[in-house]
This record gives sequence, C-alpha cells and structure tokens, in this order.
Amino acid sequence: MLSGGAGSGSAGHSPFSILHPPMSSPNDIKKGTVINLSGDLNVVISFQRVSPGKGSSFVRTRIKNLRSGKVVEHVFKSAESVAFEDVMYKKMQYLFTDGSLYTFMDTQNYEQISLTKEDVGDDVNYLKEGLEVTVVIHGETPLTIELPKKITYAVVETEPAVKGDTASGNVRKEAKMDNGLTVRVPIFINQGDHIIVNTEDGEYVERVNE
Amino acid sequence: MARLAATIANERQRIMQTIRAFLCERGYTEVETPILLKCPGMEPNLVPFETTVINEKKERFAGALATSPEYSMKKLLGQGMEKIFSITKVFRNEEEFGNTHNHEFTMMEWYTQGADHHAMMDETEGLIREVGKAFGKEWPAFQRLSVRQLFIQFVQLDLLSAGATELAVRCHELGVHTDPTDTESDLYYRLFLQFVEPNLPRDPVFVYDYPRYQASLSRLDATGRFGERVELYMDHLELSNGFTELTDALEQRRRFLEEAEERRRIGKTVFPIDEEFLRLLPSVATPTFGNAMGLDRLHMMMIGTKDIEDVLLFPGRKLFLGG
Repeated sequence: MLSGGAGSGSAGHSPFSILHPPMSSPNDIKKGTVINLSGDLNVVISFQRVSPGKGSSFVRTRIKNLRSGKVVEHVFKSAESVAFEDVMYKKMQYLFTDGSLYTFMDTQNYEQISLTKEDVGDDVNYLKEGLEVTVVIHGETPLTIELPKKITYAVVETEPAVKGDTASGNVRKEAKMDNGLTVRVPIFINQGDHIIVNTEDGEYVERVNE
Repeated sequence: MARLAATIANERQRIMQTIRAFLCERGYTEVETPILLKCPGMEPNLVPFETTVINEKKERFAGALATSPEYSMKKLLGQGMEKIFSITKVFRNEEEFGNTHNHEFTMMEWYTQGADHHAMMDETEGLIREVGKAFGKEWPAFQRLSVRQLFIQFVQLDLLSAGATELAVRCHELGVHTDPTDTESDLYYRLFLQFVEPNLPRDPVFVYDYPRYQASLSRLDATGRFGERVELYMDHLELSNGFTELTDALEQRRRFLEEAEERRRIGKTVFPIDEEFLRLLPSVATPTFGNAMGLDRLHMMMIGTKDIEDVLLFPGRKLFLGG
C-alpha cells in the first residue's frame, strides 16, 4: 500500500461515527476519505506526503471519481483547504463473494451490502469468512473497506525448510493461509499453526500460541 | 520481510567501512557534530524535535535535535578545514512511520572547498559504485539531467523564461489541480511531481540546477534563474541532496529571515538564527560543494527493498506502535 502515517487502519472508529468536518486540511486525508472536488465526489484510494527540499509540502493521492469510476492522481498542497464529505465508518462482517461482488453484514440488524472487487481493491486478498472490517459509507452508498491492521490466519500448506536456507540468510518460505493468501513465513512455521499477518504490507508478524 | 538482525548489521557495517575507506583515501577528515543544538534547521518543511537543556543551576535553555549537521560542518569549513565528512544520526518530526521514512535516521554529509557540484556528482557516483561493488551491484553511467532539460522534455516549458503565470497556464492546460494560494514554487512542484518525477529513469540519475525558489542553500548560477543544487535519485527514491554552497552571508541571512517568516506564518516554531554560522560563512571558499546522503536509503538500494524497516535494527514504527 502506498499510504503511510498513523491512523490509516480502522482502529479507533466507533462503529457508527461521522469523523470529518466539511472543510479540512489535506494533512487529514487517509484511505477512504471522500473529497468533494467541484461537485464530484472522490474517494481516496492511497496517499503519500511529499516535500520538496524547499517550499510547501504536498499530499499526493490516488482518488477514484465516484460518478465515473475513473482513478486519477491528484496532488494537494498541505496549506489548501479541501471539502471533505461526511462519511460513516461502519463495522461489518465479511460473508462471501460470488467472484465479482463481496457481501458484508451488519451484525446488529443483519442488513447486507455488497461491494465490487474494484471497490475493495487489493484488500480482497485478506478477506476471510467472518472477518470484521470497517465499511466506508457515503449517504446510502458503500464506497470501500478498511481492514484491521492485523489478521490471524491458519496455515494450511507449507513446505518443510530446505537445508542451507539458514546459511544464505534466506530463512523464509512460502505458506498458504486458510483463505488462499500466500505469506512468506519463518522456517519454523508448520502446517496447522496460526499466524498474524500485517495487512499494510502483507508481512508475517508472529505465531499465535494456542 | 522480517530480516535477521545479524544480516542487517553485517550489511550496514560493510557500507560504513566502504564509505570511510573511500573518503579517507581521498583526504577527508571525519568530524563529529552536535546532535543537540540551539539553532536547528530553519527549512519551513522541517519539524525538529524540541527539548529543554537544563544546567546545574536549573537554568533552562531551549534546544532541538539536529535535522542535519550542515551548519556545524560549515562552521568547520569556515575555520579552515578543507575536506570533511560526518556520519551522524539526525531527527525529523511529523514524518510517517516506515515506508521510506524513520524519525531518526543516519545521514552522511561531506564537503570539499574549491570544487563545485559537478565535481560532487563525479565523487558521489564513485562512492556509490564502490559501495555497490561490496554488494555485487553495477549500474550504467549515472545520467545527469538538469531540471530545465526535464521540464522542456516532459512539461514543454522552458524555466529559463517561464514565471508564475506561464506555470499556472501550463498546469491548467495539463489538467493539473492548482490552488489560489499557490506560489511560483508550488506551481513548479505540482508539475514536477506529476510529469517529471514519474518519468525519471530507474537507474541512478542526478537531477541538477533547480529553479531559484528551490535553491535552498545553493549558489545561484550565472543566469540567476537556477540554484546549483543536485539530487540523486535511484529507483525513484531521493538518495542525496547537495549544493555548490552559498557562501554569501548577506544572501544567507536574507534566506533565513524569509524562512523564519514562513515558519511564523504557518505556525511552526521559529528558531534563532545561528550567528556564528553566518560569521564564519564568508571564510568558506567559492566554490565549495556539500552533499547529504541518507545512509538507510543507500542500504535499501544495496539490497533492493522499498521498505526502510528492512535495513533498520530498531524501526521507529516498532518502537512506538509495537508489532
């Protein structure tokens, strides 16, 4: 993921809260922020702060126009004021996919909503049945999701370590998770282990003790 | 990839040894510079870590951690040292955790009196090739592209004559978003970010001679339109930033006052001007080059990673956010 900075995960949102005042600073942009640009709504897919050696700093974003679906690069100067749209962050549970639509359920009223593969983006690789995610909603329209920063998976497939790996400093091997995700793991990880994966970079974090 | 501590440490040692051998062989003296300062960097973008120094009588003094060893090193040049380098930790607040940033990072700066930024590019290329050898890495000859050339090629605009109006018109024609508060420098940087930077080669490239509003602490060229500043990019990552140094103390004071005013305007702490630095600056030869290189990023290039945490034994994100 291109985005950085603290707070890009879903932690801290109340289950149903409005976070953004109408006019804000580009420094508050994060994934899922909805920005009104001359009447068109755009959702932030990724962002990165950049500074030249001299002068103002900027926030470089990739945004998706919610009317046309077009994704463009857009650069904001930190000192500009931008119009954020009120969006809701709602905790929902991932149910299933038919390959193109991804369906989530509100665990309180059992209401279901679906997002396209494009809406969810690369995060589809981390979904697993029952996972709690944050769905970003504008008005009635679900826009995208935010994943928890860390997710636990069961290892369903991994090769035994190859001799000589340690000597070359290559102490990692591939492992397949219970949702199909492939992760590089340390050689001591076995089939059946549960591990935590960082969803920001797809890296192994640690083994969970049963 | 979580990497072995021993691997990271060994790689880092190899880089440090190669750099020290390279520079010592060329007659450089290694110097230690203070990390705890009264007058840290004044650049409006930077947010130094602020602290309070207290003496035994409980008297309090405002202090800050160095964002670069630049002022200290130039004081040494002003005292007659000809060729010096420093490898030191520097600190910058309000940066992101990870990716290509860490709040505390390792900087190498080196200076030579009597040589300009073209000589600096030669030496920088030599140094990086030497470090590359220790990692089995090679590159084609480093390209040298002036910002003027790059703008003519990718923006179809000649910065020798174009001013704020021409930049604004070009932004409009190319569909680049602008803001009423944009300065000439902002308009330039929007075009640079969207049309120049993404088109830079992945192989090492020196981008040099920046428009005067991006001159920073560099000397202006003969046209007065460009500052003799150089950035080295490798794989689209900024690795070093250096100059043919400005040695005109009056001009330097004017830039400091401008920066102080900008800091005041955007609500950042205004630090005192380093008067000793300004006093010694006229004793520095013209030309003098200086270059600052992020060694964590150099390490990243040597092992081909995009993640600074792969080259740090103690990444800030882990220290402060856990995981």
